[in-house]
Amino acid sequence: MAGPEVKDQYKVSPFLVFYLVHSVQVGVGVMGFQRISTKYAGNDAWISVLAAGLSLNLIIFLIYKIMMKEKGDLISLHHNLFGKWIGGLLSLIAIVYFIAMGITVLRTYIEVVQVWMFPDLNKWIFGTVFLLLVYYCLSGGFRVVAGISFFGVVIPFYLVLTMIFPLFYGHFRDLLPIFNHSLMELYEGVKGASLSYLGFTTLFMYLPFIKEPEKSHRWAQGGHLLTVFIYTTVMITTIAFFSPEQLQKTIWATLTTWKIAEMPFVQRFEYIGIASWALVILPNLCITIWAAGRGIRRLSRVSQQNATIPILVLILISSSLFARRESIDLLNQYTSKVGFYFVYIYVPFVFVFQYIKSKVGRSG
Amino acid sequence: MVNKMFRWLKKNRSPEKLKNLPELIRNLQDSGDFLHYESKQQDSSFFIYYFKTLVHETELNDHILPYLVEKPLKTLEDIPERVPIPGVILSSDLKEICEKVMRGFVIIRLNANATECALIPSQVKKARAVTQPEVEFTVVGSKEAFVESLDTNLHLIRKRLPVHELKAYEVTVGKLTNTKVVVLYLDGIANVENVNTVKQRLEDINVDQIVDNSVIMQLITDDKNSPFPQLIDTERPDRATSVLCEGKVVVLSDGSPQALIGPTTLVEFFSAFEDYFVNWIVASSARLIRIFAILFSILVTPVYVATLTYHYELIPKDLLSTLVSSRQRIPLPPILEAIFLELSIELLREAGARLPTKVGQTIGIVGGIVIGTASVEAGLTSNVLLIIVALSALASFTTPVYRMSNTIRLTRFPFLLFAHLWGLLGVTICFCFLIAHLLKLKSLGRPFLEPLYPLRVQDLKDAIIRLPLKFQNKRPIHLQSEDTVRFKTVTEKEKNDFHE
Repeated sequence: MAGPEVKDQYKVSPFLVFYLVHSVQVGVGVMGFQRISTKYAGNDAWISVLAAGLSLNLIIFLIYKIMMKEKGDLISLHHNLFGKWIGGLLSLIAIVYFIAMGITVLRTYIEVVQVWMFPDLNKWIFGTVFLLLVYYCLSGGFRVVAGISFFGVVIPFYLVLTMIFPLFYGHFRDLLPIFNHSLMELYEGVKGASLSYLGFTTLFMYLPFIKEPEKSHRWAQGGHLLTVFIYTTVMITTIAFFSPEQLQKTIWATLTTWKIAEMPFVQRFEYIGIASWALVILPNLCITIWAAGRGIRRLSRVSQQNATIPILVLILISSSLFARRESIDLLNQYTSKVGFYFVYIYVPFVFVFQYIKSKVGRSG
Repeated sequence: MVNKMFRWLKKNRSPEKLKNLPELIRNLQDSGDFLHYESKQQDSSFFIYYFKTLVHETELNDHILPYLVEKPLKTLEDIPERVPIPGVILSSDLKEICEKVMRGFVIIRLNANATECALIPSQVKKARAVTQPEVEFTVVGSKEAFVESLDTNLHLIRKRLPVHELKAYEVTVGKLTNTKVVVLYLDGIANVENVNTVKQRLEDINVDQIVDNSVIMQLITDDKNSPFPQLIDTERPDRATSVLCEGKVVVLSDGSPQALIGPTTLVEFFSAFEDYFVNWIVASSARLIRIFAILFSILVTPVYVATLTYHYELIPKDLLSTLVSSRQRIPLPPILEAIFLELSIELLREAGARLPTKVGQTIGIVGGIVIGTASVEAGLTSNVLLIIVALSALASFTTPVYRMSNTIRLTRFPFLLFAHLWGLLGVTICFCFLIAHLLKLKSLGRPFLEPLYPLRVQDLKDAIIRLPLKFQNKRPIHLQSEDTVRFKTVTEKEKNDFHE
């Protein structure tokens, strides 16, 4: 199976991969990833976050190695490596994973809004309007998706500045002593931090839409490094700001730190923060749903429009079914677990498999 | 050339029922202003037919007829040789004859039953004199504006660009009006694809009447369902010239004092032409103020509604007390209060636009002051909101392009509704819709949000800020110009030191 042929007019420039990678990573995870990481790694959690981030640089490198050899997308890769049926099944799993990511993101965001802004927000109506917005973006094609991710990074970037406020109240001695946790605990922390890094695997789907994809490698690494930098900073600030016991009881630590931001004309900054966060969530949903729709279009003869509409309905219904805090937490845990294995085990496996197959194919 | 002529001829309404020239002339005689008489001389005679309302009669009597009567006419072929006016043609094609006589040509026949005739051009050219620009008035700079005559407008541009590269491609549009439309571009500078897109879209127009260039704008624009204009119209010949030099395409049409410019970008709608007449620091700050004004104008009332409906915790204590005391007596929720005020401002604007100038001003003052004060005193609106709405209306008028300021004011209403629905979250979601819509827009197939997206750092030199002229030495990337360099900057090496 050959890779997809994308017309030049629908392709976007390589540097946009920076925004595509960064915007799909920064989503709901950053609002409360601190609790899960510090649960095991304690005040060394920032090392876990940093380590998880840097190890993923290697994974991105592997993804590019795989894709440069394949010259296609995930669907054609699976097809060529594992044959029509097994490959198709694997592609289907990947599509389901993308959809699950969409569900997680939307449901977690709605939960945040319900808890922090509007306790009686109607999740059906809100979900419908938000998914209509996603559909509107998707109907413009990948160019618009890339544009949304560009603005989704650039416009809310001012929120990084709000991390200054907790610095005034933080106790940076809490970071000491460094390395007082075992490697196992750090590893558990890495696992906990990984949900907030996930999503860049959508690279597999949109690389054919990039002009000169080989040039986009450094941009992908750069986008990821920005995420690593932001997460590590947020983690350090959080450890300094909260006491360990308090942090374990704080589900959305980042949002809680916003509460102390105060300006002459604004207090209770979290309202503005959460509202602006819609602009961060939008590219997240757009990219994952785009990837899922694109996957279905490549697997079958269904058009991407006809594939996207059922996906949106599915996301709306299933995200509204998760009503309780525990079930949302469970959803998050499962998505992050699947993502963790997808990234750390499946990607290296595919790399090795592709390598062996090319060697065997050449000799035979 | 011949092909071109026939193409537009085919588009015209042809006198299908009429079989020959005598019948056509009989048909034309139904109109009272169609003159016909026989000019008799010693041994020969000929017949003259024309519309006296279309023909310059003095010119006909002084510069055409004397040449025809000085010697007897033998054949029609004599006429082009004798009359010292270019454009005399002989024809027996009914369509062509009909078309020409309606454009102010004089028909000459040698006998009453002849099917061939000579056509002599003698159009009367009546045009308003070139006046000052009224919509895009600038304090400094040229004071000429386009008028309704296509020839005058072309003259205004040609005299500013005396180069042979300036091409004027002519298309006739409109089945009934047969309006002449001209596509202007600099050959070798403007992108061929852009020029062809415009030509193609003009030729695909299939309507009976072209009232104005604005109609053409609506017909050739990329997304016809968008409230955002995707082509700029200008009444300034100097602006049209300067965008031609950038590599854009200009469309002029007969009977319209406006030129269309494409492809454009969103930021261009917020740049006044005066920005190029003043120092770059002044120009840049003016642009920044304008962009701030646009955002302010769209967002401030929705944010007021959002905060006062849902998030009053956002407002610090001291500010909140001011707001509370101003809203204490107001019986309406913020959304109704805001819609009431916004609608009254819209009413004032619409009334002012429809009334004659002098009355319009009075309406503005009376309406603005009296209604505003009265509604505050009556306790219908808070004075804080009154200030906000008035400021945002004022801010929306800073947009240099008139069409865009209409769009900006319209955009406020969906934002208001979303703000009432979900507070600040609603405002963000509406904002996302706006961004997605702008991302989808194209102007002649080029991205509308450029240079912001796709990000082109080089084009930022003349977008949100305007850098000094020496940095403007390259044509914008989004125009894909055939010749990207405008001029070479010669930089003298300066010693990096204080003056002695």
